[in-house]
Amino acid sequence: MVGHGLTGMLGEDGIHVDMNHLKSGEVNLGTSIMAINFKDGVILGADSRTTTGAYIANRVTDKLTQVHDTIWCCRSGSAADTQAVADIVSYHLNMYAIVNNEAPSTQVAASLFQELCYENKDMLSAGIIIAGYDPRHGGQVYSIPLGGSLHKQPYSIGGSGSTYIYGYCDANWRENMTEEEGIQFVRGALREAIKWDGSSGGVIRLVVLTAKGAQRHLYLPDTDYTAPGRTQ
Amino acid sequence: MTSIGTGYDLSNSVFSPDGRNFQVEYAVKAVENGGTAVGIRCRDGVVLAVEKIITSKLLKPGANKRISTVDRHIGVVSAGLAPDGRHFVSRARDEASSWRGVYKGPIPVSALANRLGSYVQAYTLYSSVRPFGVTSIIGGWDSEAELAVDGQVGSGPKSGSGGKVDKAKSGGPGLYMIEPSGLYWGYYGAATGKGRQAAKAELEKLDLASKKISLLEAVKEAARIIYVAHEDNKDKDFELEMSWISSLDGPTGGRHEEVPKELLEEAERAAKRELEGDDEDEEDGAKGSERMEE
Amino acid sequence: MTGFDFSNYNRNAALQAKGAPGPKATSTGTTIVGCIFDNGVVIAADTRATSGPIVADKNCEKLHYIAPKIWCAGAGTAADTEFTTALISSNIELHSLSTGRPPRVITCMTMLKQHLFRYQGHIGAYLVVAGVDPTGTGLYTVHAHGSTDKLPYVTMGSGSLAAMSVFESTWRPNLNKEDAIALTSEAIKAGIFNDLGSGSNVDVCVIEKEKPTQLLRNYLRPNERGQKERDYRFAKGTTAYLNEKVFTKEDLRKYVTVEEISGDPNLMEVDS
Repeated sequence: MVGHGLTGMLGEDGIHVDMNHLKSGEVNLGTSIMAINFKDGVILGADSRTTTGAYIANRVTDKLTQVHDTIWCCRSGSAADTQAVADIVSYHLNMYAIVNNEAPSTQVAASLFQELCYENKDMLSAGIIIAGYDPRHGGQVYSIPLGGSLHKQPYSIGGSGSTYIYGYCDANWRENMTEEEGIQFVRGALREAIKWDGSSGGVIRLVVLTAKGAQRHLYLPDTDYTAPGRTQ
Repeated sequence: MTSIGTGYDLSNSVFSPDGRNFQVEYAVKAVENGGTAVGIRCRDGVVLAVEKIITSKLLKPGANKRISTVDRHIGVVSAGLAPDGRHFVSRARDEASSWRGVYKGPIPVSALANRLGSYVQAYTLYSSVRPFGVTSIIGGWDSEAELAVDGQVGSGPKSGSGGKVDKAKSGGPGLYMIEPSGLYWGYYGAATGKGRQAAKAELEKLDLASKKISLLEAVKEAARIIYVAHEDNKDKDFELEMSWISSLDGPTGGRHEEVPKELLEEAERAAKRELEGDDEDEEDGAKGSERMEE
Repeated sequence: MTGFDFSNYNRNAALQAKGAPGPKATSTGTTIVGCIFDNGVVIAADTRATSGPIVADKNCEKLHYIAPKIWCAGAGTAADTEFTTALISSNIELHSLSTGRPPRVITCMTMLKQHLFRYQGHIGAYLVVAGVDPTGTGLYTVHAHGSTDKLPYVTMGSGSLAAMSVFESTWRPNLNKEDAIALTSEAIKAGIFNDLGSGSNVDVCVIEKEKPTQLLRNYLRPNERGQKERDYRFAKGTTAYLNEKVFTKEDLRKYVTVEEISGDPNLMEVDS
């Protein structure tokens, strides 16, 4: 029998299991990701660095993955695991829309992500942020950290780079920001995360999700993440 | 039924040459002998009612319910073979529970109807099974509130989600009826069982599509319709059983519940009064015509 | 009996329990690359196969056929790249037959990633998938754990760092076919010369829209073995001897049975 090399440790304050380990040679999204609620919907953001150990396997990765028309997710952890989970959720959401003749809500997407992440927690290293927009519920942000719990949040940050920006986000966060202010907030936070976290880098990708649909943005390091801005 | 006795009526999964499945048609016969069941969908809720024929004086009044709760917000009533109805309800509960397991929230009434429609239909395909001997009415209320995902932590921004559209359609009543063939439609008013013709005629008079009728009025109407439908079956005693599901700010708060005893009795009194009134009218009419002849 | 046979696994486990070293898989310590150009995509590979420090094969093929216009370059465990690509090639052909359409690169990539993800990295196949289909040109990397990337130029294997340095310094958008071939083979050469796990020749595969695929086997041979300056064979009579004794066939009969073969001695006997 092949073990998964999962190491457990009994400390004074309980059992500690290192679930963030990666199998040797596994591709890691040592990442900075975030999603926020704003006046007209949600904004998702991510850096673009994918690593295998010390090597950057992809410097222009797209970690913002669409799972339905206006439901997207930010992926962090193992690239293989998060891609597989996102593919499975995407399949189920498409089936949901066909069977029920109605687009799935962000809650449905969050439930499916949580079910997969919780039931397979011992096999996955995936930290996922789900953000979606629908006219009835507006923009919503859910976070699923390593253990598979589900958190509804005003805004959410994740990945190794997020540790550096808790202060920044707490100090600068305001509810009901305008689109411009929201973009500024996400861009500013990710710029700091990339600056301080060695596992994050490359370009900043954003997705703005509103009643108008999904709008992608791209910011390059050449201009300290100020240009070219809006794409598509 | 000219083809009866030709052998095509013996098995499920065998069509007759003119494209009929006799086993399904016989199942419909079983339904047509069952106590009348009706469902009324109105703007602020759904009412289910059934005529429960008393088959023995030894049965405890008020016991042996025929309307079942499938999930907090959905009820089912069926006409036909009672054990088939109970199996159907059991499956409905499994489906509702499985939905909660996957989507961490209540199943929409339409989705439950869809799944049960597929389930019933599967019993028309195989020679090893017989079709369901029931026609079931599914009534429920899809919550108009924003529902949290079961087990979620936190509730998002204090100021609420951004970009919400106020007019967006959300929740409301649902009423569906599934036949032994697996065929199902959504209805404003549904009726099945022995007195369905009379019940349907009464339901049509209510003009439910215009959504003028309130839940409380619908309770009275449902009781009356069951009494009207019983008129052709007067030799047998019956008990009226009723349940309802209201909107969140209504009397049941979006849950499927029995109609309270006092209200049920009041509705029954009103129904009887109206029937007697009809009788009196008829008698009056008869007398009147006699008078005119004089 | 169908399914896997674990008897060799059990034998190895028993041997290892007694302290014997386990068998090692042949690993293609490799350089593989791919690059899209204006009318298609080109992939390339070196041809060295290694088993630990030993060069197991000096001219192996690391470019695998999937479909006429979809090819795969493989790094990692040789057996795994071979069998994984063969399996997906077979399934792609069946899929193509059942849909009546030419297969797509993204279909192939999805089948590979789902297969590899199921095996949680135990199938050590690291692949570059490339091809053209009715939707356009496709170029992907697939890692053993099942993750994939889509990029205009890619490298994999132990020589990927050397190869990537070539791409990062000389790649530019809108290459033509000749430039793309030159760039990919240059990247492989960087792997051959700078990575211990890579060596020997450069194989190239060019997949172009509306043109037959070209497999350029040994497109470059930068490690040709030249004529040796000296001959190490010894001339007859180099070794002196003191006496001589000749054994005849008749002498041999004393020790063994000698049988004469009738008819043409070159004809092999065939079991009846």
